[in-house]
Amino acid sequence: MALLEVEDLRVAFGASTAVDGVSFSVDEGKVVGLVGESGCGKSVTSLAIMGLLPKGRGRRTREPVQAAAAEPVDSGLKVAASAPQAVAASGGRGRRGGADVQGRAAFDGTDLLSLSPAAMRRRRGKDLAMVFQDPLSSLNPVVPIGRQITEVLERHRGLKGDKASKEAASLLDRVGIPDPLRRLKEYPHQLSGGMRQRVLIAIAVACAPRLLIADEPTTALDVTIQAQILELLKDLVETEGTALLMITHDLGVVAGICDEVNVLYSGRVVESAPVRELFRKPTHPYTVGLLGSIPRLDLPIHEPLTPIRGSIADVIRWRDGCAFAPRCDKVAAPCVDGEPALVGAVHAHRCVMAEEVA
Amino acid sequence: MLRYTVKRLLQLSVALLGLSLLLFAWFKALPGGPENRLLPENATDQQREALRAALGLDEPVWTQYGEFLSRIVRLDFGSSLSSGRPIATELAERLPATVELSLAAMLIAVGLGIPLGYLAAKRRGSWIDFGTVSGSLLGTCIPIFFLAAMLKVVFAQELGWLPTTFRLTAGADFTEVTGLRVFDGLITGEFGIAWDAVQHLILPALALSSIPLAVIVRITRASVLDVVGEDYVRTADAKGLKPSTVRGRHVMRNAMLPIATIIGLLLGSLFAGAVLTESVFAFGGIGSFVYQATTERDYPALMGFILVIAVFYVVINLLVDLSYGLLDPRVRVRK
Repeated sequence: MALLEVEDLRVAFGASTAVDGVSFSVDEGKVVGLVGESGCGKSVTSLAIMGLLPKGRGRRTREPVQAAAAEPVDSGLKVAASAPQAVAASGGRGRRGGADVQGRAAFDGTDLLSLSPAAMRRRRGKDLAMVFQDPLSSLNPVVPIGRQITEVLERHRGLKGDKASKEAASLLDRVGIPDPLRRLKEYPHQLSGGMRQRVLIAIAVACAPRLLIADEPTTALDVTIQAQILELLKDLVETEGTALLMITHDLGVVAGICDEVNVLYSGRVVESAPVRELFRKPTHPYTVGLLGSIPRLDLPIHEPLTPIRGSIADVIRWRDGCAFAPRCDKVAAPCVDGEPALVGAVHAHRCVMAEEVA
Repeated sequence: MLRYTVKRLLQLSVALLGLSLLLFAWFKALPGGPENRLLPENATDQQREALRAALGLDEPVWTQYGEFLSRIVRLDFGSSLSSGRPIATELAERLPATVELSLAAMLIAVGLGIPLGYLAAKRRGSWIDFGTVSGSLLGTCIPIFFLAAMLKVVFAQELGWLPTTFRLTAGADFTEVTGLRVFDGLITGEFGIAWDAVQHLILPALALSSIPLAVIVRITRASVLDVVGEDYVRTADAKGLKPSTVRGRHVMRNAMLPIATIIGLLLGSLFAGAVLTESVFAFGGIGSFVYQATTERDYPALMGFILVIAVFYVVINLLVDLSYGLLDPRVRVRK
């Protein structure tokens, strides 16, 4: 059994659905990537697993979604007209600004989504930890670095005073911060971006978590620093056997660190495969598009990049057809005729035109 | 931190010097010199000239300013034109009452305002939030003298729960140390006196606290709302810390920065509000003194009062600046 098994995760903010039935799993000692552009639901997925989304008022029930899915699907047009009502019905019960989270996120057999807030707090930072995107704003500016590390040690490992400080210093040393004892007394503004990200990683690994979620940990950093941070994360996974869920929009990062990849589009997994498979034979047009939009060294200098048209904002709802259809070059009639299923086992994709694409 | 403190002190002395110059120029520019107040209307021009010479008003302006400065430094504000007593003595007698009242009002405002503001932010959009925000709006709208009078009528005269006027029950026997009655009662062991003083303080302090309370509630609410959305609060939550730790160490320590500034500014302005409140409760502070000095064109007395208030403002500002240094490490190291 995998350490983390996410099944049919759904997150809605009011009337808008951010995550729409995402499933994947992460094994111990493995790095699994969640890839997609801004707004595809990858960060919301990670926050939902961590229990860090603002709570909606509604209980976690499946009824609204099932009711919506059970509606007869005749033609795209007709269903689209009735869609807003279903959305209002499912979103209306949540508190304004809060998230309605449904589905399952089993961590070592326990569904994290059904834990009480207090039980979840006992696990967060200890069994599962998270490294955030922006190291500049993710550390408290008015609290010394040392305190920000020792408070985790105190909370989950019962370490206090000198013992905690020593452990904090050795953690800083481990993430490659020179002169750690002096750094403990410093404040975040006295550290560079790369250093701050190292501190955040030190905080995340302070209690040797079994699952580490890294949400775009290198996005805000220089390229050289990016490589160092990735190396550090890779090292942690290899030496500690930590499971790493890597959230990124950078396929370079994916190629460098991930074992398996899940490509997300508009709240759903559109392709999922071992990393070599994905790069060798991308199947979903969205994945093809992502790969095509990366500058390549082996192409002539004046060869234009091939961006994906439009943006993720102009989507249709999945159950009316493929949400990527409006932006897809290969779009055909079957694409907008009902919900495309995720097909395949090891290398799965959600494209009805897969044969033609390949 | 020492460098920072010294730098702030230097800046403040420059500010005070500028203020003394401004005050001096202002009083010089006012029409109706003090000789007209002191002499009867049918006095001759020679008599006026003689008095001007006696008061030093015929000296060159810069000599007058030098004299003015040197006396201020020695805390010699001259004698009141109306009572004839030294102004420094008059102020020293009355200031403690006003200070005590202002501090009590600020204590109420901070003690209630910060928790209420926090609660309103946490329960944003709830009836608590709505009630707190409308209450604070009401607090800023009601004129202090009206609120003071209503409190007095309801709680002192009708219900009889608290005394109506003065700082202590008439005839009370007490030892004076600092002039702050509650504080004096506590340090001399006269707890009966301290309790009596507290009872006399409650209503005026409540009345005076209405505006600062309202302001602090709103600033706290806005500041907390700002901070809870910050990434570092999410980091703190991701650590699985107890809610009380997240609140104290991560939310409030950051939210306190703007609140500290406002508290400093409000404390200064409380002295102005105290004039009105004191008159309703016959509190015997600086209020009646200023009122009298203004109506009788008692320039030396007014100048003394303004200088004292200015020094208060400046000192409070220094304290706020220093607290900023303590609260925010980024301020401390800035060159």
